[in-house]
Amino acid sequence: MEKEKKDAPNRELSFVTGGEVNIRQDPWWWLVVVVIAVVILLVMLQPVPFKDIIVFAKDGILVTIIVTVVSYFLMLILGLFGGLGRLSNNKLVFGISSLYVEVVRGIPLLVQLIGWYFASPVIIQKLGLWTGIEALIQYRANPIITAIMAITVCYGAYMSEIVRSGISSVPRGQMEAARSLGMSYFQAMRYVILPQAFRVILPPMGNEFIALLKDSSLVSVVAVADLTRRGREFMSAHFNPIETWLMVALLYLIMTLIAARVVSYIEKRSKYER
Amino acid sequence: MSEPIIKIEDVHKHFGKVEALRGVNLNVDEREVVVVIGPSGSGKSTMLRCINRLEEYDKGSITVDGIDLNNPHNINMVRCEVGMVFQSFNLFPHLKVIDNLTLAQRIVRKRSKEEAFEIGMQLLNKVGIPEKADVFPGQLSGGQQQRVAIARALAMNPKIMLFDEPTSALDPEMIKEVLDVMAQLAKEGMTMIVVSHEMGFARAAADRIIFMDEGVIVEENTPELFFTSPAQKRTRDFLSKVLQI
Repeated sequence: MEKEKKDAPNRELSFVTGGEVNIRQDPWWWLVVVVIAVVILLVMLQPVPFKDIIVFAKDGILVTIIVTVVSYFLMLILGLFGGLGRLSNNKLVFGISSLYVEVVRGIPLLVQLIGWYFASPVIIQKLGLWTGIEALIQYRANPIITAIMAITVCYGAYMSEIVRSGISSVPRGQMEAARSLGMSYFQAMRYVILPQAFRVILPPMGNEFIALLKDSSLVSVVAVADLTRRGREFMSAHFNPIETWLMVALLYLIMTLIAARVVSYIEKRSKYER
Repeated sequence: MSEPIIKIEDVHKHFGKVEALRGVNLNVDEREVVVVIGPSGSGKSTMLRCINRLEEYDKGSITVDGIDLNNPHNINMVRCEVGMVFQSFNLFPHLKVIDNLTLAQRIVRKRSKEEAFEIGMQLLNKVGIPEKADVFPGQLSGGQQQRVAIARALAMNPKIMLFDEPTSALDPEMIKEVLDVMAQLAKEGMTMIVVSHEMGFARAAADRIIFMDEGVIVEENTPELFFTSPAQKRTRDFLSKVLQI
């Protein structure tokens, strides 16, 4: 508290110097450098099979990134509404959002993924037969969209709880002050409560991103050609499990380490004096 | 005499089993300064918070500037007209002082950025800290924060100002700077209801003093008569406790 106050007049200044990614400020960037160096070294010393693996799996890396980023932003939106619902005075809204959180949190993501992929098309087709709508009868599950949906629903439940705790951490007086100035509930949320809650939930939000990146490997079981699935395909074609999974693991590690650094950088930037 | 700007009729309120208000009746005229005193738990703050409906009451009616508070659609209208200052300041810590003052002006009163800024700076001048416009509330002393909070409420051009123990969370040497701002406001003719333990302020600035105990108004009178010849025994007991210090 004392130290923050002393630093306060330099706030503008620290914003400027904080704008660059500096290895000296954050020594953990060295770990990213080391892991990337290891990968480059492996590729140079042993192009077969390491270079082949990367060439073979590079579209899988892209799929992993797309699935992760898209589901992440969708689940943030879902989590925001879920969290607001969990704090609602309206019994119906509170009931629905609580039921959603409790049920979804209690079912493994893998089971949800498989369920969405294999069971939901059957239900939709049956619905089509029952109503006679041709488009529903012809419905086939799109692997990527189904996977993104399943991850969004599952992670949205966790995110709801994070948002709820963040909003609860903002003192009651803030809402009262905003309302006493004539703001509506949503104006108060938008301009007063959420900006403060956001700073509290940034660390868990970052953790969720890294966890989601890793859990995205589960989509390989529902026919999505992500990094994990491409690795498995390469292994069954070339019979070199050690090299394949070493490389796949290193590629995931690079992505998660970079994500962790970015998260810690955003956290540092968004600190403010209370 | 014109119609009172605040009319409180037989208001009841309970929290669980505790009855905070047990039939409060009070009329406040325009430009009147009313100071509410009483022991803790007597319902003073609860009554104040009912006037802009931060607290919902169970029974009775409150009319503010001709607007009936029993009709929930009117809440935001009433809150625009009624400024509130809290014991714990409740400034928005993520916004600079000037943005604390302009936020509600812009999104509730729909003023332009320039107009809101100008009004904000005028009010910071009025409370004596224009040089703090660009700092964050966390860097201000308690007295300065409370003066910003008063300016923030005034920026909405309220007709009435409510003060909920505005000096209770302050260090002793900062109380005067806040009371001075409030006394100035009273002199300018603002309608004010002040819940406070500051007897000096009550004596000097109030038109009327109200003593509450156990959820009802026990006694009300002008400051001179209230302090020199209180009619009720409960008032005398309370005054003998707070004035001997």
